[in-house]
Amino acid sequence: MAELSDVVNETIQYEIEEFIERPDELERNITLFAKVRPSMQDIAAALIEGDNDSVDVLTKQALDEGIEAVEIMDDGLIAGMGIVGIKFRENFIFVPEVLACARAMKAGMAYIEPILSASGVEKAGTVIMGTVKGDLHDIGKNLCIMMLRGSGFEVHDLGVDTSEDEFIDAIEEHGAPVIGMSALLTTTMPNMGKIIEALIDADLRDDVQIMVGGAPVTQEFADDMGADGYGKDALACVSLAKDLIAAAAR
Amino acid sequence: MADVKPMTGRERVLAALKREPVDRTPICNPTSVATVELMDLVDAPFPAANREPELMARLAATGYTELGFDSIMPVFSIIQESSALGCKIQWEQKDNWPTVRMREPIWETAEDIKIPSDFLTHPDTKCVLDAIRILKKEYGDEVAIVGKTMGPWSLAYHGMGVEPFLLLSLDDPDATKAVLDALKKATIDFGVAQLEAGADAVTLPDHATGDLVSGEYYERYLKDMHTEFVDQIPIPIILHICGRTVDRMGFIAETGMAAFHYDSKNEPPESMDIVRDKISLIGNINNPQTLYSKGPEAVRAEVYKNLDAGVNLVGPECAIPLQTSIANLKEIPKAVRDWHAEHTN
Repeated sequence: MAELSDVVNETIQYEIEEFIERPDELERNITLFAKVRPSMQDIAAALIEGDNDSVDVLTKQALDEGIEAVEIMDDGLIAGMGIVGIKFRENFIFVPEVLACARAMKAGMAYIEPILSASGVEKAGTVIMGTVKGDLHDIGKNLCIMMLRGSGFEVHDLGVDTSEDEFIDAIEEHGAPVIGMSALLTTTMPNMGKIIEALIDADLRDDVQIMVGGAPVTQEFADDMGADGYGKDALACVSLAKDLIAAAAR
Repeated sequence: MADVKPMTGRERVLAALKREPVDRTPICNPTSVATVELMDLVDAPFPAANREPELMARLAATGYTELGFDSIMPVFSIIQESSALGCKIQWEQKDNWPTVRMREPIWETAEDIKIPSDFLTHPDTKCVLDAIRILKKEYGDEVAIVGKTMGPWSLAYHGMGVEPFLLLSLDDPDATKAVLDALKKATIDFGVAQLEAGADAVTLPDHATGDLVSGEYYERYLKDMHTEFVDQIPIPIILHICGRTVDRMGFIAETGMAAFHYDSKNEPPESMDIVRDKISLIGNINNPQTLYSKGPEAVRAEVYKNLDAGVNLVGPECAIPLQTSIANLKEIPKAVRDWHAEHTN
């Protein structure tokens, strides 16, 4: 089994030791970072520090050295965002810090995405995402979309203030098996239930798995509204989307 | 409480805001309790009730006349002064809230921020002032009239966009403070104007919530400014911040504000332990899961939980969903009275 001392990057070592407490996450991250190239650890460390300029330079450098785009995305960018997600979940960092890390990830993905698109790599699944009607907040939704795309999903972003009809049209157009709804306001959360009712009326409810999230949303509320899953944060959203894609395929 | 003479709603709220004895715990709504049912009842629907003083006052009054609360709060949304500052507003329909189009920011830096000379005479700020005057005249002796003036942190979200402002707060603390400094005049001027129009207290929403930023952020960026507001707006101020806030309640309690309107993500006993005697707490009945989704029994349980903890004023945690049932809202004063009947010697 790998040891923390096998991780060569000091920033990553510190981040793991200082902020990861769950034994399974500890083991997974030590094992992951112990096996990835030092240059990937450097990218992950720069991302965790929210240093978009360094991520930009290091990503381009890695590609110039012939490292595959998928490896840079998985072992550098997504691996780094994994630690960011844990720190956010445990309240070690807050949204401004996560936004800075997301900005760094975007800097790297600007090089990676065109390469992946051109290579025709099979997608992990298709997801439709939108903030519900009456709600113009999209930070959480956008973080989820970034992580989903980074994890190989094709995502159709309906933006904010999304009506029942816009969700229905998008499902019919893209044939997506999963939709995600976000709300930041307690006043707009009930619109999630309205959209689910509209899908039932349109005879589409059985065709899609529905996940919901947003700061005031809880598992209990998701259950009350008739959703299939609730994700507390962007990391949970990716894991949930994978589960729901698998459920839709059964 | 048994030896306190019977009070009007207004006396009750104002005493509780000062943590003085009351005849019973007041039921207070520092944020909106407007619903579609109430709009229909008095023929004062959104969006007009956010823009026309007569309708605004008529709908707000239902909090007292229909629901039995001890306060009336006519500012249903959080967009009135942002509209006057030049933000683009989506006014929506009867069943949705008006919202600021934050994806279309109007400022990038503090230098861009100018408080317009017609800030207090703009139709959307004047509407609030006129509605307060109407309510004061009609109900001012019976019930507390609570106004609302948005804090600079929230106004910055509206004018710059949430994401750009939060990134600025990390990248450039000095520039962030300059933005907040440039906006505080709007908060103060609108608050003072509402006092002059007849408000008994003002809610000051400033959404530095634990769902977005740390408690350390509150101390760094807002604590001193909120303390300054206590002197600059000489009326009881009710700070409103949604979400998790226990990590900043200690700082909030030191600002000198009269009360903190707190969210159901914070446990009443823990919250009271943090702020006890330094600031009154108002809250914290859950909106989406309880008031909107459940029945009167669940509402009653949350009212009792707050009263058992000694919370000073009871009410919903934030502006309630527009589809909330009147039956659930009426359960709040009923439960407060029952709790007091059970606890009177």
